[in-house]
Amino acid sequence: MALDGTLTAAAEDFAKVPQARATEQVIGEITRPLSLAEKIWNQALVRKIVILLLLAVAWQMYSQQLKNPLMFPTFGDTASALWSAFEKGELGSRVLVSLRVLLGGYTIGIVLATFLAALANGTRLGNDLLEVLTAMFNPLPAIALLPLALLWFGLGNGSITFVLVHAVLWPVALSTHSGFASISSTIRMVGRNYGLTGFRYVVQILIPAAFPAILTGLKNGWAFAWRTLIAAELVFGVSSGSGGIGWFIYENKNQLEIAYVFAGLLTVIGIGVAMDSLFRLLEQRTVQRWGMKF
Amino acid sequence: MASKTPLLDVQGVTIQYKTSDKLVTATWRVGFQANRSDRLILLGPSGCGKSTLLKAVGGYLTPAEGNISLDGHTIVGPGPDRMMVFQETDQLLPWKTVHQNVAFALTASGRASKIEANDQAMAAIRTVKLDKFADAYPHTLSGGMKQRVAIARCLAMKPEIILMDEPFAALDALTRQQMQVELLELWSQSKFTMIFVTHSIEEAILLGNRIVLLTPHPGQVKEILDVDLDDPTNRFYGGFNELRDTIHRVLFRDVQDYVI
Repeated sequence: MALDGTLTAAAEDFAKVPQARATEQVIGEITRPLSLAEKIWNQALVRKIVILLLLAVAWQMYSQQLKNPLMFPTFGDTASALWSAFEKGELGSRVLVSLRVLLGGYTIGIVLATFLAALANGTRLGNDLLEVLTAMFNPLPAIALLPLALLWFGLGNGSITFVLVHAVLWPVALSTHSGFASISSTIRMVGRNYGLTGFRYVVQILIPAAFPAILTGLKNGWAFAWRTLIAAELVFGVSSGSGGIGWFIYENKNQLEIAYVFAGLLTVIGIGVAMDSLFRLLEQRTVQRWGMKF
Repeated sequence: MASKTPLLDVQGVTIQYKTSDKLVTATWRVGFQANRSDRLILLGPSGCGKSTLLKAVGGYLTPAEGNISLDGHTIVGPGPDRMMVFQETDQLLPWKTVHQNVAFALTASGRASKIEANDQAMAAIRTVKLDKFADAYPHTLSGGMKQRVAIARCLAMKPEIILMDEPFAALDALTRQQMQVELLELWSQSKFTMIFVTHSIEEAILLGNRIVLLTPHPGQVKEILDVDLDDPTNRFYGGFNELRDTIHRVLFRDVQDYVI
């Protein structure tokens, strides 16, 4: 019987084996396409839009409960103010005025910064000049120069351009300079091996080689310029006929059209976000593609 | 006396450079010549000024004493008639593809028009067997492939002389051996003149037809040897070992005397 028992046990063991194999074979799904909902939720843009919608809902709920349109208009009121301001063409032309001034100051600032950085790259004295100037002027807020600018250039775009150039020049010069300084001596020697000198050497070798740092500088310069511009227009717009978007905000605040003030601020934010994505696109097309992430 | 004038003539060249607190003599009255189609090796331990010497030939450094001339003209600065291949794998312009890198060298130096440069660049890339990677950016290539592009760039430029500064030193051993063989194949195709700096005795024997032995502090020419082996690629063959021992003895003669 004992023998028989062990035999049955062995037989049972034996019988278990194929079953065990069968369960081993099932190791679950190897690949499975994600559901549509999962795919959508994996998009960063979708998640960000959801966050924006939640913020808008929170805004609407809070302001409806507050019932004080003079202090805090509802999201609905702000949206309709934004729509009507654009529809009348008023906000659009203000944005254009602002962007035109901005572009002028930004361009002059970049050209001067490039020139200064190239000079600093070529000569020891130029290097000292750049270091002294940036140490002095980079910490000086551009808006602090506005009274002086008004004195020198009068009321008008000249003054704003002046402070914009100041806002852009130093951060861009600094990062371009550090970008040039970090170019490997090998790349420099390669450029000179081709017989490149002077302007062509700067444009065809130094600037692309320093582009990661330059792009960072351009981004910072843009952010400084945009803030300075809106602030300058707010101070300045008081006596200016054709102001930009800062003036639009100021004007509507004086007329207690607070929904329009909010609409102006939303426009400022919107342009900032748009420029940010433009820079990101530029970064993908250049620095990331070249494997040069700074 | 040599009946023909050498392509490259380095005569009594002393190179000095300044650090923040002292003046260092890198080479002391160094002289050697290279004829057309020579594969001249500058061989020596670190500190013998071989790279410094190559950079002086490249025109990046001016000798404190002596004269370097190419084809009878004294070298005054860098130029596309002396193309360099560096050790560093970042010598390709990262913002240009393989093809653009080679073509840009041709157009920037004025050696070819844009259209000519495209074809010539492609041909050069084909000779180093990288035509599949013509549109790739350098950061996607391996170290050996990058060095092949740098060599292709040199060949496309058709310079008077190619200056190679330890181009294979940063590569792994297997890639390095393969690159050495490929370089010899390329040489047998177009018989370019090159100066090749290395600190590997085996590499020197394998690649050179003439070896300038330099000793350090300051760099001086110890001896100039002709490599005249039946098969320099065969490392197990007697002539190879004999030459290697000779070079070893010359380079470390002083040190050994001192130790014994």
